[in-house]
Amino acid sequence: MATRAGDVLGTLLMRESLDHCVKCTICETFCPVSNVTPLFPGPKYTGPQAERFRIGDEPSPDASLDYCSGCGICTQVCPQGVHIAEINTQARAALKATNGVPLRDRLLARPTLAGRLGTPAAPVVNWSLRNRMLRLAVEKAIGIHHRAPMPRFAGRTFQRWARQHTTPAAERRVAFFHGCGTNYYEPRLGEMTVALLEHNGIAVDVPKQDCCGLPLQSNGLFDDARSYVHRLAERLAPFARSGVDIVGTSTSCTLMLKREAIEILELGDDRALRDVSERVFDVCEYLLALHERGELKTDFQPLPETVTYHAPCQQQGHGIGKPAIALMALIPGLTVIESDATCCGVAGTYGLKREKYDIAMKVGAGLFRQVAENESDLAVCDSETCRWQIEHATGVKTVHPVEMLFRASGLT
Amino acid sequence: MRGVPALRADVLVIGGGATGAGVAWDAALRGFDVVLVERGDLAEGTSGRFHGLLHSGGRYVVKDPVAAEECVVENAILRYVIPDCIEDTGGLFVSTPDDDLAYADRFLEGCRKTQLPAEEISVAEALRREPRLNPGIRRAFTVPDASIDAWKTVWSFARGAAGHGARILTYHRVTDLHRSGDSVTGARVRNELTGEDLDIEARFVLNASGAWAAQILHMAGIEDVGVVPGKGIMIAMNHRLVNTVINRCTMPADGDILVPVRTVSVIGTTDIHSADPDEIPVTQAEVDQMLDDGERLVPGFRDARALRVWAGVRPLFQDARADEVKDTRDVSRTHAVVDHRERDGVDGLLTMSGGKLTTLRLMAQDLVDAMCSQIGEQRPCRTREERPPGNEDGEPYSLGSRLRRRESTLQDEQLICECELIGRNRLEEAMRRRGTTNLDDIRRSLRLGMGPCQGGFCIYRATGILHSVDRLDGAEAAASLRGFLQERWKGVWPILYGDQLRQARLDDWIFQGLLDVGHLPGDAKVPDDDQRARGEQVAGGEAHADPAQVPEGGRQADAAAAEVNP
Amino acid sequence: MSHHDVIVVGTGLAGLTAAVRIAESGARVLVVAKGIGATHLSAGTIDVLGYSPERVERPGDALATLLAERPGHPYAHVGVEGVGAALDWFGARVADGPLAPYAYAGGLEENLLLPTAVGVPRPSALVPVTMAGGDLRDGTPVCVVGFRALKDFHPALLADGLERSGVGVTARAVELDLVPEARADVNSLGFARAFDDPAFRGQVVAQVAARGLGADERVAFPAVLGIADPHGAWAALEHGLGRRVFEVPTLPPSVPGMRLFATLREALHRAGGDVLLNNVVVGAERDGARLRALRVRVGLREQRRGAEWVVLATGGFASGGLELDSRWAARETALGLPLTGVPAAGEERFRPGYFDAHPIARAGVAVDHELRPLDAGGERVFENVLVAGATLAGAEPWKEGSGDGLSLATGHRAAELVLAASSTTTAAPAAAAGG
Repeated sequence: MATRAGDVLGTLLMRESLDHCVKCTICETFCPVSNVTPLFPGPKYTGPQAERFRIGDEPSPDASLDYCSGCGICTQVCPQGVHIAEINTQARAALKATNGVPLRDRLLARPTLAGRLGTPAAPVVNWSLRNRMLRLAVEKAIGIHHRAPMPRFAGRTFQRWARQHTTPAAERRVAFFHGCGTNYYEPRLGEMTVALLEHNGIAVDVPKQDCCGLPLQSNGLFDDARSYVHRLAERLAPFARSGVDIVGTSTSCTLMLKREAIEILELGDDRALRDVSERVFDVCEYLLALHERGELKTDFQPLPETVTYHAPCQQQGHGIGKPAIALMALIPGLTVIESDATCCGVAGTYGLKREKYDIAMKVGAGLFRQVAENESDLAVCDSETCRWQIEHATGVKTVHPVEMLFRASGLT
Repeated sequence: MRGVPALRADVLVIGGGATGAGVAWDAALRGFDVVLVERGDLAEGTSGRFHGLLHSGGRYVVKDPVAAEECVVENAILRYVIPDCIEDTGGLFVSTPDDDLAYADRFLEGCRKTQLPAEEISVAEALRREPRLNPGIRRAFTVPDASIDAWKTVWSFARGAAGHGARILTYHRVTDLHRSGDSVTGARVRNELTGEDLDIEARFVLNASGAWAAQILHMAGIEDVGVVPGKGIMIAMNHRLVNTVINRCTMPADGDILVPVRTVSVIGTTDIHSADPDEIPVTQAEVDQMLDDGERLVPGFRDARALRVWAGVRPLFQDARADEVKDTRDVSRTHAVVDHRERDGVDGLLTMSGGKLTTLRLMAQDLVDAMCSQIGEQRPCRTREERPPGNEDGEPYSLGSRLRRRESTLQDEQLICECELIGRNRLEEAMRRRGTTNLDDIRRSLRLGMGPCQGGFCIYRATGILHSVDRLDGAEAAASLRGFLQERWKGVWPILYGDQLRQARLDDWIFQGLLDVGHLPGDAKVPDDDQRARGEQVAGGEAHADPAQVPEGGRQADAAAAEVNP
Repeated sequence: MSHHDVIVVGTGLAGLTAAVRIAESGARVLVVAKGIGATHLSAGTIDVLGYSPERVERPGDALATLLAERPGHPYAHVGVEGVGAALDWFGARVADGPLAPYAYAGGLEENLLLPTAVGVPRPSALVPVTMAGGDLRDGTPVCVVGFRALKDFHPALLADGLERSGVGVTARAVELDLVPEARADVNSLGFARAFDDPAFRGQVVAQVAARGLGADERVAFPAVLGIADPHGAWAALEHGLGRRVFEVPTLPPSVPGMRLFATLREALHRAGGDVLLNNVVVGAERDGARLRALRVRVGLREQRRGAEWVVLATGGFASGGLELDSRWAARETALGLPLTGVPAAGEERFRPGYFDAHPIARAGVAVDHELRPLDAGGERVFENVLVAGATLAGAEPWKEGSGDGLSLATGHRAAELVLAASSTTTAAPAAAAGG
């Protein structure tokens, strides 16, 4: 598989991989969505099987494919190397291109738009988002479920903080790809990340940056996704080219840059994106690599707490294992219970949608139960939308692994 | 002594392929009382084994303009009368780096002369439409090629004929032609299911047995007719590498067509003279050649998954007095009515020789016209206008139709064959209506087990269902299962590499490991032709298939005898 | 570059066995794989030797004979005792595992004779207790219960086949209309989840009982008797029906196979081992006969993972561990190890009869008695790479009825060899805490 036509990037590779499908059903046994609802016929059906009945850029006649959450677990478990989730995502884009993309999806797909609008009026917006009557009205109007977990606007942006922050000179540098979630909703996470890296002797650049386009891609708006990711890549490429690693706290967004944009959006010829893709790291991946070289400060203070760790589907999509577990194992006194649940259900913007909210909650039910049964003080998870979902469903505060390391490093 | 029962008819049509079905339809529409006999199932011969191309005629514009013109006209007519059997894929003629660019000009000129609507497009545009095409092509032309479901076509015409009173007798093999002096008066046939003989008395016998024509004529004492069986192999690739018919813009050669047919793409074909139309082995050399030819059109072809390989045999006509020709491609592909009164002094018999599926309607028209002429009854042909059953809505076939249909039954109906999206209701209906216990017949009509998994999952399911609706007893179920495995193997082992080998190994685990079919009780020898004995005959006005529903499936891929000689 | 004591390539039975066995001795094990292995597709029984070529009754004895007659068979690298040790080890893992008291029964002494889903009596050495009640050697009549909503199991076909099979067991079929999940199409896993639910079980018992059971009839179900608590489900059914109950493996997804996977996966986790999916081994860095690191493709990148030892359990042609291309060249896809048993160019690979002996059927990697891959000259290609499972040359497991037995035995043997060799080295294991 290493050197065949399989090194041609783009749609051709994703679609052509359907040839590897031997109908073994393994993907179906792992699909979190088809296991809880008959509305989604399953990854084998929607991916390699239905793809034989589709023509290029004509719309796929199977609307049921829209129930695929895009979690990507099917691709991970497929023993034959079929790019199932990627085929589904591409088919969905073709479907949407004909059937149209609802207003709701257009809004959800542009977190920076929401971010820019919501930040100046954060208190009002936050209140509105928690007002049941208003939420019911919103659901009726555009189809975002009234109970969908919406984050709180921070009222300030991380970018602004970064502009006012001077990073100490150091031998090593990284460029911080913080993502929309950190920028508008969790700027504190960004601050903690910078502090932790600087604490370990790394200078942190925070380039001007925008959305990576992942929600646009998931919602089938490929042209827009391409322009966003290309623009982002152009901003990050100079760092990559001068040998500076790019580190990200949003594990789904770093996956987008590592491979998803190239595979799904057919951007194999985008030089900037290729260069960036080779030097992008999930932050825990990066920190663990530091540790393996003996370069991570491990004089951690004890944190006598119990936490449940959930590895988001997209984090698993990196194929790097669970570096967060290995890192947290270095913190004395910390009990980390690893959840064996597959998916929290939210899958980015999927679980926010009226027709999918219940499905998402069913998908995550196993995880939520574990968090509750473990009597965790906290839950830990690398993806922001998953954190919001877990908090919403369990009431347990959910943080990024970096926060645990930050606290254990005695930083404030 | 018990006499052999006899049927009377105006016209006896021998052969249940495209030609025979078309002739039956034409003659029935003209008010003749028709009986059609076919030794196996409909479309089991050449028609069921070709590459699925509805010719625009482009292939012949330089070499055989008469054939090209026929295609231009008939292509349009068929799109009108049997739209449901046709997918309007369009076609491209491309000059690959190996092709003579000067031919392209002759091609264009030939199209103009035959009024074939060909248009040159830029290479960039061709590659945009078909991203997997060889980027090294230098010129490209669009033509109105299409892909046609031969099986469905044959069934449509047969059902149509039956609807006009024709009797379609499958599994009836001609064992003798009756002659009374200089006239052919009918035939004796053997019912392959019951073993019983039947005499058919007819005013006229139309020999539409294609590549087997000589064998039939031999029974009337007529020899040396000059049918040259031309064997060709085809490989179905697992998915549509292209959505347009791709032709090499060159003098007709081997492996120069890639046809998207339903969910697969078919590369074809070779051209080897075969003495016996029933002896058509697939050779390893031919397989290699097809793969190389495919690679020329679509780089990476050899890495794509090959699904099945099979051989078909063309009925090419050549005047017996000419020298025996080795390359059958030089023989004209147009058809000819062999007038046995003129040639052999025999009345009441005409043979259709040569031709291609694209011109089946015209062939039928010519043959029935010739018959009318001989018996002195001028009855007008109606097949240009009439639509046979199953095509009433005038909607051409589209690839996504099964997928679309499945959407509405997603929650309610079990999917039995997942690769080809065949639901349980469909399967049970087919079983009930065809009244057959032969899983093979059902397989053909629905394409069950013809997808990538090659029956790995669905065959067990279908056998269980067939057994439970009381169509098979235990012994038959076991035999059916083993028979299917052998039948499938025939079409697969010459192309068993890459992904298809992985599939075969998984299927081995399921069948031999998990189910242990290798140790099913019963005859260790796997029955194949015995299977046919369980199909059903048709008598009276009933067609073989359900009058209310034309079977949708097509059968482009089924190996006959497939012996590979390395 | 990360570094590990042992990297196991493959998550099938062979790979997981090797990984767990090694990990539970304290070494740090990393498992890398393209995806999930064939456990989910197999029957879930451990078949040691079923046909040789006649049906085998005493696998231990037949094994000894096989090894004498076919020294090139992969079992020869394990030996009868080694196979026994592997079975014991496996049985203990399950008995101690997360599904306890779910356990396996049987051993090398005698093969049980279990019905397949088409009613063929199939010999098997070690089977889940939930299947053992189906042993056809005891002649008790069988009532086969199926579900209309489960298209992957046909009770009447099974019953019919069983009656014709010549083992002298009468059988009949019952089909229930119970649908667990309000859809028409429910697969084995869907039913297994339903059987975890006491309420559903109660309904099944009531409906079966209502059909009336003969005094000495035992009841067969498809192998869907629970995924989270199979022992509980099975025991409840036996109790509710008041008689022996057993399950019959059917088309994938295999619930017993998934239980097996869950058991080994949990054992690996407990022992500190890790699994990385979507990691495809594409080559190695070597120092003479010593492999230093694996080159692994992860997404679009190639990474190097250093290891002291590598166990290659990539699963043969079925999973792409071995590959045959369109020019009929065969190769081992991870490390490019030499293959044996591949017919030369121009020779037949397959024969026209489906059940024929196909020349390429036993192709694979040739190894010595310590599972080290050998080249054409009989020299070790690598000192620190061992090969286990279906990638090995010399067997046709689906014909002999030895599939899972071979995987288990060679995976276990590979682990034992690695452990023995490691304990004799003086160098300390690599200091870095591998991922």
